[in-house]
Amino acid sequence: MISKLSLGLMATAVTLVLGSSISFASGDDAIKARQACMKANGAGMGVLVPIIKGGKPYDAAVISAALDTMGKACADWANFWPADSMKSTTLKTRAGEAIWSDPKAFEAAGGAYYTAFTALKATKDEAGFKAAFGDLGKGCGGCHEKFRAPE
Amino acid sequence: MKLISKSTIGGLALFAALGLVFFWMASAPHPLNAADIPEHTANIDNGKLLYNIGGCISCHAPGPDVKNVAADIPAGGKPFITPIGILYPPNLTPDRDTGLGYWTEVDFVNAMQKGLGPSDEHLIPAFPYTSYAHMKIGDILDIKAYLASFAAVKNATKPHEVLFQPIVRRGLGLWKWVGFDETKWQPDAAQTASWNRGSYLVNGPGHCSECHTPRTLFMSSDTARMFQGGPHPEGKGKVPSLRGLVERERYKDAADLVLAFQNGEELGYDKMSSGGMGEVRKNIALLPDDDVKAIAEFVSNLK
Repeated sequence: MISKLSLGLMATAVTLVLGSSISFASGDDAIKARQACMKANGAGMGVLVPIIKGGKPYDAAVISAALDTMGKACADWANFWPADSMKSTTLKTRAGEAIWSDPKAFEAAGGAYYTAFTALKATKDEAGFKAAFGDLGKGCGGCHEKFRAPE
Repeated sequence: MKLISKSTIGGLALFAALGLVFFWMASAPHPLNAADIPEHTANIDNGKLLYNIGGCISCHAPGPDVKNVAADIPAGGKPFITPIGILYPPNLTPDRDTGLGYWTEVDFVNAMQKGLGPSDEHLIPAFPYTSYAHMKIGDILDIKAYLASFAAVKNATKPHEVLFQPIVRRGLGLWKWVGFDETKWQPDAAQTASWNRGSYLVNGPGHCSECHTPRTLFMSSDTARMFQGGPHPEGKGKVPSLRGLVERERYKDAADLVLAFQNGEELGYDKMSSGGMGEVRKNIALLPDDDVKAIAEFVSNLK
């Protein structure tokens, strides 16, 4: 049985992901925001990966700061993908068509990333951090493989 | 007054007939015979390694309608969408009715290195025989032996959805004159053994140049611009250049590239994920360390 309430919730969720932009004035603004998120993630990985590879020592404060910056830049994720941000006449975007043609799979991929991100944030020591990091990377890959277009 | 005389019509008809004869002769298949296949003791492990670097499974994966078959069994049928139409890569398991069960060694070599099916029909070069042609024949036979070790799966794949397919196929015989270089791979004595191993894996079974090299007007690999990046096979977007990966700071050095191949995004390497490269990378990661290093040595030295 699907209640009216759950239908309403589902509709809201779909609107949040695909509907007309709530937080962004235009598709281009959404593109800019998600690219800023990806850039912050890239910079964050630049801090985290050397710790995984052993080039930099484990430092909980540094890791936490990096993850916070990544999280903040991407906080609006659910609004990053309005239909009018699929293409742009002024901006280059590698957002793949499958984001809009297969929104369920896209949400699942985004969800997997977010779960891994939350788990990594909750780690308390070096062993835990190193064990949890791979899943974050897999989370990135989950979207990049299916939902990021070729160059 | 007659503008077109009877003799003109006769001339045109003769010209057209000669053209057809020329087309028919020039597009004829040239298969190998059983006598051309050397004695060979198959090495299944080597076949498996080459199957992995070839990424055979990426195209020959079971299609969505194939039930109860693991995703890593090459039962075929996963649609491959290309600008010329939808292709359904065939079943490579040893099933006698729908797979390679009855294929002889020469059948398999003709497919892999001559681009010819068992009835001598030209194969569509989305199947990269244009690269496999450069391989050692023993390696081809090892792949056949490895494929024969799979359990047979009955799966008759759909016919390709390509317009005017009989004419296109026969026309490929003409295309082979300009687009098909069958020279065997040669080592470069000035380079290390590892570089040469990498060169063989990349240029032969790995068929990297099929996507990473631009194409000429005739849709053949533009060998003057080897590995400078090409059009994406699905029709939209580009496949990046492999030249100057270190100089352009994509990777620090060959060792960095090895880590990227073996770990991908799990170690923060995000440039091998999109456009199908994610699957290619996972196939490369199945290789022994020395072969991954060899590929990295060769690729990171492309200037």
